[in-house]
Amino acid sequence: MRLRGWGGLVLAIAVAVMLLLPLVVTSSFAIDILIRILLFAFIGTAWNLLGGYAKQLSLGHAAFFGLGAYTSTLLQIDFGISPWIGMVAGGVVGMLASLPIGWLCFRLRGPYFTIATIATAQVLMLIFLKFRDFAWGAEGTTIPNLGNSPLMMQFDGKAPYYYIVLGLLAIALVITAAIERSRIGYYLVAIGEDEDAAEAIGINVPRVKRNIYMISSFLTALAGTFYTQYIYFIDPQTAFNFNISIEAALVSIVGGIGTLWGPMIGTVLLETTSALLQSWLGNSIGGVQLTVYSLILMAVILWRPTGIMGYVYEVYGRRRARSAKG
Amino acid sequence: MVEIVAQAVINGLLIGGIYALVSIGVTLIFGVVKIVNFAQGEFVMIGMYITFFLATQFGIDPIVSLIVSMPVLFVTGVLVQHFLIRRVLGLNDLPQIFLTFALSLLIINVALMLFTANYRTVHTWYSDEAFHVGGLYIPVAKLIAFVVAMLLSGILWVFLRTTDLGKAMRAASQNRDVAQLMGINPNRVFAVALGIALALAGAAGSLLMPFYPAYPMVGQVFILMAFVAVVLGTLGNVIGALVASLLMGIAESLGIQFIGADSGLIVVFALLLTTLAVRPSGLAGGGRR
Repeated sequence: MRLRGWGGLVLAIAVAVMLLLPLVVTSSFAIDILIRILLFAFIGTAWNLLGGYAKQLSLGHAAFFGLGAYTSTLLQIDFGISPWIGMVAGGVVGMLASLPIGWLCFRLRGPYFTIATIATAQVLMLIFLKFRDFAWGAEGTTIPNLGNSPLMMQFDGKAPYYYIVLGLLAIALVITAAIERSRIGYYLVAIGEDEDAAEAIGINVPRVKRNIYMISSFLTALAGTFYTQYIYFIDPQTAFNFNISIEAALVSIVGGIGTLWGPMIGTVLLETTSALLQSWLGNSIGGVQLTVYSLILMAVILWRPTGIMGYVYEVYGRRRARSAKG
Repeated sequence: MVEIVAQAVINGLLIGGIYALVSIGVTLIFGVVKIVNFAQGEFVMIGMYITFFLATQFGIDPIVSLIVSMPVLFVTGVLVQHFLIRRVLGLNDLPQIFLTFALSLLIINVALMLFTANYRTVHTWYSDEAFHVGGLYIPVAKLIAFVVAMLLSGILWVFLRTTDLGKAMRAASQNRDVAQLMGINPNRVFAVALGIALALAGAAGSLLMPFYPAYPMVGQVFILMAFVAVVLGTLGNVIGALVASLLMGIAESLGIQFIGADSGLIVVFALLLTTLAVRPSGLAGGGRR
């Protein structure tokens, strides 16, 4: 948000391009990639609130993704409630679940917080695998296909899905931008820098962490509902997949942790790389995508821990300093 | 009923020996280098594949292949320390956590490309043998694995207590700065700690091979167990990790016996989460970091 003026113009153009893109891109393969990019940018942005600003490095966001997915699906199949309502309900369930999970995990710091978050997501997956009467167990279930029914979040083409996830991403970015400029945003950054110091200057650290975890998990749960509606299928392995937790963290770190646009830029980079690899090598060899992801992640950590946005700010700052010197 | 419980306890105890090798490695690295190695399970996997190839290509027994897998992984540990971990020491949590996490992802997926996701097994003459004691059934392969695991843990304990290098490692884990003032070279100590930890993981891999399939994701089971054991046994505490691993093996086995075949992990995680809720500093007490 330092680029006021030109920045506004760039943003307006970007929004226009994003809105018009489905009119130009009609190939179902391409729009599928775009939806994936927007979806993970959204999840990454949600993760970034907790992981990026407050530096609480969760690897368990799949817990909320899965809870959101299951809440809306259960409401739809058992009670015929529209996924639009289910989505919000799922968000609330995710948000409420973050309270006990946070109560447990925030007792730990650093790597042990990360491990505890992994464990909670795994426990949820195991529970949904185990209790088959409640939620179809390991086989999962397909979402009944109702044809084109916007009220039930089902559409003929892929473009409507694109706009839904674009809207979700926009909401997450607006929330992030608002938090970034608010008092809470500075609290979060202070906690991220040094929790004890933040506590010492009078920040109620547990409360701030709890609140941001609630927001982050609410948003992540919305993504779960969207994804289930998009692929018409749910099972514990997809809904609570560890790769969701990984990618949420990865896109933020690569793009620039604790920055507004970082997760989005990271997703574009990683997902484009992955799509190119896929069209180049085909799906024949397993593991190529994550091999490349892990190499990119390692390179970022070793050479540029602030991510791409960190680099951009650095270069921009240098140029501004030079022009000021004149 | 008593017999069923006793049998489950024995099964759990035997596999707990393997968990112990992995957890001791994790806790050793954490104690000395102050890094949580998310890739520890992947080094078990590498040990398994080394053993698998030695067995299928040269007919070498998995137990004998310890003399290959342990040195290879020791050297790997030194290299990992020198080229990767050394560069993030003293930085904040993000690089410290995600460096070894990225390493873990990398190893798994390279293994997936090289070996595919297929299960690989090695069948030895003792794979199906068992002792029958009373009504109890003790598989020979698991018994060998357990005994060797306890032996290696014992050797490590003696090493840490009696040798200069071992004492240097304990000193470095208690207070790195003071240790350095006493003339201890931290880089050397860290490299040895990584080497030993990875060698233990490699040993776990070799010992598992006669009764456990190798596949690229196999390490995840063991790393999750190790994390729980390390938290339960208090971070950085070798004996704590050992005892907690054995207990977890038993808890998992009882869970499988009495709740269902897919419920071993639920019990373990429940144990972890309960511990966090009640005693976040681990069963043996101590600081939370």
